[in-house]
Amino acid sequence: MYLRGSLKVLTTTALGDLKMDSPKEPQPTGEFKCQLCGLTAPYMYYGQKPPNTRSVELLEDCYVMKDPFTPDKEKILILGSLCSLCGLSVCVGAECSLFYSKRFCLPCMNENLQAFPLEIQEDMDKRKPQQKSFPGKKMDTRT
Amino acid sequence: MEPEPGPSRWAWDCPVARRRLEELYFPRRACPEETRSFWAFFERLRRFQSRRPEREAAWDDDDDDDEDRPPSRRLGLPRRYHPRHRVNLAVPKPEPSPSRPWVPREALQEFLDALLLYLDFEQKRSFAKLAKLQRERQALPIARARRQLLQAVAGNQVVVVAGDTGCGKSTQVPQFLLAAGYRRVACTQPRRIACVSLAKRVAFESLQQYGDQVGYQIRFESSRSPATSIVFLTEGLLLRQAQREPALPAYGVIIADEVHERHLHGDFLLGVLRRLLPARPDLKLVLMSATINIRLFSDYFGGAPVLQVPGRIFPISVIYEPIPKEEVAAAAGKPERLDPRPYLRVLQAIDHKYPPEERGDLLVFLSGVAEIGAVQEAAQVYATQTQRWIVLPLHSTLSVSEQDKVFDVPPPGVRKCILATNIAETSVTIDGVRFVLDSGKVKEMSYDPQGKLQRLQEFWISRASAEQRKGRAGRTGPGVCYRLYAESDYDAFPPYPVPEIQRVALDALVLQVKSMGLGDPRTFPFLEPPPSASLETAVRYLRDQGALDEAEELTPIGTLLAQLPVDVVVGKMLVLGALFGLAEPTLTVAAALSVQSPFLRLSNANPDCATARRPLESPHGDPLTLLNAFNEWVQVKSERGGSSRKWCRRRGLEEHRLYEAANLRRQFQELLRDHRLLEAAPSRPSDSYSRQSRHRERRELHRLWRHHTETQGRKRKVLRLQDGTAGSSGEEEEGAGAREHGERSVDIQDVKFKLRHDMDELQAVSGSVLSPSQLALLKLVLCRGLYPQLAVPDALNNSRKDSDQIFHTKSKQGVVLHPSCVFATSPELLHAKEGKERGGTKEDGLSRHHQLLAFVSLLETTKPYLVNCIRVPALQALLLFSRSLDTNADCTRLVADGWLELTLPDAAAALRFLAAALQLRASWEKLLDQQLDPGGDEPSSRDLSALKRGLLEFLGMEAPYRLRQLTGLEKQALYVGPQTVPAAPHLPGLFQGTELKPDEVKGGHRVTEFLTYNCLATDTDLYSECLRTFWTCPHCGLHMPFTPLERMCHESACQPTEAPPEEEAGSSSKTSALHRLYHCDICQQDFTLTPTDILRHKKQHQ
Repeated sequence: MYLRGSLKVLTTTALGDLKMDSPKEPQPTGEFKCQLCGLTAPYMYYGQKPPNTRSVELLEDCYVMKDPFTPDKEKILILGSLCSLCGLSVCVGAECSLFYSKRFCLPCMNENLQAFPLEIQEDMDKRKPQQKSFPGKKMDTRT
Repeated sequence: MEPEPGPSRWAWDCPVARRRLEELYFPRRACPEETRSFWAFFERLRRFQSRRPEREAAWDDDDDDDEDRPPSRRLGLPRRYHPRHRVNLAVPKPEPSPSRPWVPREALQEFLDALLLYLDFEQKRSFAKLAKLQRERQALPIARARRQLLQAVAGNQVVVVAGDTGCGKSTQVPQFLLAAGYRRVACTQPRRIACVSLAKRVAFESLQQYGDQVGYQIRFESSRSPATSIVFLTEGLLLRQAQREPALPAYGVIIADEVHERHLHGDFLLGVLRRLLPARPDLKLVLMSATINIRLFSDYFGGAPVLQVPGRIFPISVIYEPIPKEEVAAAAGKPERLDPRPYLRVLQAIDHKYPPEERGDLLVFLSGVAEIGAVQEAAQVYATQTQRWIVLPLHSTLSVSEQDKVFDVPPPGVRKCILATNIAETSVTIDGVRFVLDSGKVKEMSYDPQGKLQRLQEFWISRASAEQRKGRAGRTGPGVCYRLYAESDYDAFPPYPVPEIQRVALDALVLQVKSMGLGDPRTFPFLEPPPSASLETAVRYLRDQGALDEAEELTPIGTLLAQLPVDVVVGKMLVLGALFGLAEPTLTVAAALSVQSPFLRLSNANPDCATARRPLESPHGDPLTLLNAFNEWVQVKSERGGSSRKWCRRRGLEEHRLYEAANLRRQFQELLRDHRLLEAAPSRPSDSYSRQSRHRERRELHRLWRHHTETQGRKRKVLRLQDGTAGSSGEEEEGAGAREHGERSVDIQDVKFKLRHDMDELQAVSGSVLSPSQLALLKLVLCRGLYPQLAVPDALNNSRKDSDQIFHTKSKQGVVLHPSCVFATSPELLHAKEGKERGGTKEDGLSRHHQLLAFVSLLETTKPYLVNCIRVPALQALLLFSRSLDTNADCTRLVADGWLELTLPDAAAALRFLAAALQLRASWEKLLDQQLDPGGDEPSSRDLSALKRGLLEFLGMEAPYRLRQLTGLEKQALYVGPQTVPAAPHLPGLFQGTELKPDEVKGGHRVTEFLTYNCLATDTDLYSECLRTFWTCPHCGLHMPFTPLERMCHESACQPTEAPPEEEAGSSSKTSALHRLYHCDICQQDFTLTPTDILRHKKQHQ
């Protein structure tokens, strides 16, 4: 994108009273951002006991939003949590983290791969080839 | 899970067994969707596990003796691997309760493990969707322009965003603004469908975090609520809002999307907004456009800054394949049929060059439905041969379900070949298109302001359209565009399409300019001014129709018409219908005429459809056929609910358009009620029982509707090869329909309809049958609304074949009936069927039953067609509605509007007709004025019924007459011209007080605004105006010699005797205009007498 030189140049001032990036709605508590892949999404709760949810319990402190893909008000969607080793906030995507009784970000995981059961090590090996592209850089490839 | 030793008596397939577990672990309100999808997952899981037993062994094997695996204590991981540890969720323990059903331990464990996996699977699925969504948003070109956009909007009142297809501006810019804290945002779209889909998309993409804040509003539907922060609405709707509240106080930001499409409403909206900006310095305006002619928009708004965003499009290679000269020459012999060979060659080339496993569909742009048919026929043959193509047409006259087929997926190895009009250029986006074949042609409505004639003509497209078409091949990957013209042709195309304002009738636009108080439309600063001839025609037309007065100000009827979102003609019908208590049928007809015809084009292969339609056809004309169809449909709906869909299919009716007509009808009804032209809805006589049951019914409908909105979304189907076969038989379609809807078995359109409309009221209204006199009056109302859109049958039609009937309008000779017209199949209805009876013979053209066609529109495609006709008696219609009526001396020859000549050999009958028409017109006009005058009294019901009676009697009057068009030469020498000696009959106070003035152009004398007496040039009866013949007045019994004019005077003055007898004192005030001072030379006395009384007085002395 570029500004047309021949036309009036945009001013960068007068942003004044506009608040950026902070919708005033009470619903979302804040914005979750995965420190590995950069995925962002508004979350409404952080912890282990999300409100209005009876059918499921969480085993770790999670960033949670209402599942936007179902009209069911009680359904939640877990966005991510903190790595139990380094404390990085990571999304639950398989390219960024893994849960095995605790959350591990992938870099920590790879450092300690030998400590994990073979089943997981095998899975990691299988996934390696796909791992090259981080989702943030992935282009839309549907055909 | 151990299948072998486990309790085999626990039957997983048994619903009772399942229910026990459901009760424990799905404690919330019965949610059938959820449990169903869990059990489906459960079954898949079991099948999967049974196929991989060794994996399964690892599941909950606590006695594993393989102890050497070293799980690291350092990380605090579990001793043994178990897939359960990979899930960060747990299923809460059910509340202990005494009635807790017993479930074997093994089964319970199996169930819990599966449930856990299911919950995890759901999480993964939703998260993958979320990640994909965010990734896609990030990847849109507009995402990188976000900061700049927000800065530009903050610093400027108007910003232009220019970006090509696929840059994401339509979905992202509204979200950027919302996220930046802007509220009260309106985003206008040229098309209704885009409003709905964008609102849904934006709500979805913003992850519902704005909840109810994203809404849409289109003509009949609104999801708007007080919480709405951004609303997507049509350009037309925002204009309507500006009409009510010129400052548009409801909005802080207006985004005008797709302004480059240059629709009439869009252009006008920009003009309105430009005027508004100085008065609303707080209002922000964002124009969004393709990268076409950006400077025009920027300059129009005083050099507004432009933010240009590249589109995201894959490379497309262009192949020019102009049609060889010899083929062009060969086709020139049959200009009406398109030669499909060049199109087939492209299909072959694709098959030749690209292996079938490389997916990608073909989109063909053709100019019209006939062209689509021609190519479809040939391509279908090729497709059947090769089994590699599914040929699908796409144009706006197809039914919605047929249009939807283009979104379905072809089976592997087969490509879709979509044959489309320019609807696929912008309105419909089909994914998966890799090849585009562009004919380079488009059929567009052009408008001839002189003839008020719409013409559908074929043109070369513009370069902008050609690029747009090409771009459709590169939405999802690299593509190929075949052009059936040479590169030099392309270079010669005009750069942009002609804006709509340059090529359509501007009646409605002028009306809106007027009603918004924007002054003279000729000086309104349009983005690009329309041709002045179009404006002049529109102003003249509105004056003719009585919507504007001489000073070009809105009349009361004009004010009303400006609020109706319909053609002026249709609006007039509504007002006229309301006057006669025919509001209900008029509402239906007006609504049905304002939507696309619900009657689908019948394929020849379907004679059953035509037969099923026949009972709906009215012998009076198409508008009444529409009325029948609508009424019958409402009855079917109210009696048999959802089966109306089938009923429509059987008759080749597009139900969707009937729904639209019903919505429009309701809107008209509300407008008429607002203007007190229609009484408010009758309060329903209701006892508590019926109230309750109605309440229950509505609750149930609401439930269905909610359920539908929660689970909606048409699933793509996989097409079968035979889906492309042209004219697939009715049964097959019905079968498919049943399959498609069988699962839900609820017709959601029907639910919507019943929620929106008062079924009982509608049923009652549509169930009542019109009496013959009501029908006759309705036809008059329609005809008056349509006037001057009249056509006269050619004199030789009687001897022509059915399909060759020819008609003439004032401005266009030789028009034909649209094939959909009832008179096209039954032309005998129009023949002046007199002949042998009562002395009339065909040769002299005398008949009592000449008829004219009043038509809704004149459409020129391959031929000029009359669309939506009703037949009306010629003499009566012309006498009642002509703007100009000219007579000879004894009124046996009349010329209506300078083009139709009526000859009545019987002078007495001629005068009878004329006198009756004059009187009826005057009282009709008076009552209409009363009706429309907001401050005045309602027209009295006595006057109304007198008028109705009068009109019916008038329609019943008979006399043999001739009807013919004047020739060009006759038109030139029509009038005697101004006369030097005013041979005016010295008859004063003629016709209810109007002065008889010599007409300075035509000659003769002006009797009323429309009637000029004795101005027709004739070579025979020079003296007829002076010749008196004996005549007896039917009212007062007066018998004496009269000249024709004297007679007319007398008759007009004598009319009041029809009213109940009144005292002389009373009548004197009423008829004072006719009284004059009279001095009798014989008895030397002074009297105040009417002309009749004078004659009577004179007679005493004889």
